[in-house]
Amino acid sequence: MFPTLKTGAVIQYPAKRKLQFVTGVIRFLDGTEQRYRDSPSVLHTWTIQLSLLDEQEMAALDQFFQENQGRFASFPFTDPWDGTVYPNCSFGADTFAFQLSGEMRNKAALTICENRS
Amino acid sequence: MIYFPQLSSGATGQFPITRQRMARTLVNQSCESYNVKLADPGAAITEWHLAFGELSDQEVAALEALFQAVEGQLTPFTFLDPTDNLLAWSEAQNQAAWQADPLLTVTGNITDPLGGTSAFQVSNPSGAILMLQQSIDAPASMNYCLSVYARSDQSTRVWLVRGSETTAAAISTEWTRVTSAGQLQSEAESINFGIALDPGSTLDVFGMQAEAQTAASLYKQTFETGGVYTNARFQSDALTITTVGPNRHSCELDIVNVEHL
Repeated sequence: MFPTLKTGAVIQYPAKRKLQFVTGVIRFLDGTEQRYRDSPSVLHTWTIQLSLLDEQEMAALDQFFQENQGRFASFPFTDPWDGTVYPNCSFGADTFAFQLSGEMRNKAALTICENRS
Repeated sequence: MIYFPQLSSGATGQFPITRQRMARTLVNQSCESYNVKLADPGAAITEWHLAFGELSDQEVAALEALFQAVEGQLTPFTFLDPTDNLLAWSEAQNQAAWQADPLLTVTGNITDPLGGTSAFQVSNPSGAILMLQQSIDAPASMNYCLSVYARSDQSTRVWLVRGSETTAAAISTEWTRVTSAGQLQSEAESINFGIALDPGSTLDVFGMQAEAQTAASLYKQTFETGGVYTNARFQSDALTITTVGPNRHSCELDIVNVEHL
């Protein structure tokens, strides 16, 4: 499971959530168009920005990233807005960086993407 | 052994420190957003960005000497991650990284001071002092701090092993974080950290941590790798040092550890 902070939360403000459809559009010479679904359903993406984390919280995130080998593996992620569990999610990038600006002052940003099942 | 030097304070880095992990995943994406992924664990990279300010002549000379010795990004050196625990498997004493003396018994799943069950109990039923320790490939001459949480219903002390130095630390029935810090006069290219138990004693132990600095920071759990990187390199062939006055220098550098090189 995606690691939670010591407060029990997984995300801090400002938090972003993106819903992505894929729609194909064919435009004709007379200006009319035909639209069709190019994917079976919506996909979710969460952008998580974290600050003022302590070293243990950051170590847990770092370990989780390494266990998943970046965006390779998948894991269930609970949408912090509505509690829905999305069973097939991955990191959105192969990179995870954090900055330590003092003791118990870590910050990091990461993206979680829902995969098509 | 060529290694990244410590500052005169005993620290390896100054705040802020940035560390970045990079994996490599091959992704074949279909037009309907289905993905086929292939991991490439051998291509993993770890990077640090270190910014130093107010360095003395001696400190900047040590950095410059290292840079010249490794010829920029050409050859590797040992880098001790200033943000991590140097010991591997910090909560799994049954792993091969740990060496327990014969007759020493180690039992896991004990309630730990952070509210989990990751502590372990160590018993010495013999008539001699027995040790549980881990050796890391790092110069013994650097400043190190070993820290561990310990408690016991019967013993009043635990021995902390830091290289050739062994110091006794007082413990009680409550969890106490005990530390042993300092610098050894040794040219050895490895150093061992651990605990030693008096004959007949039993201890609960949690969160063993070694750091290349003079005091302990918050405990960090580690798994198969600790914070010792023996294949680190400078990321650039250039090192720029800015001097703003006598004995006042600053510089920024990037270090990268790539296992497949």
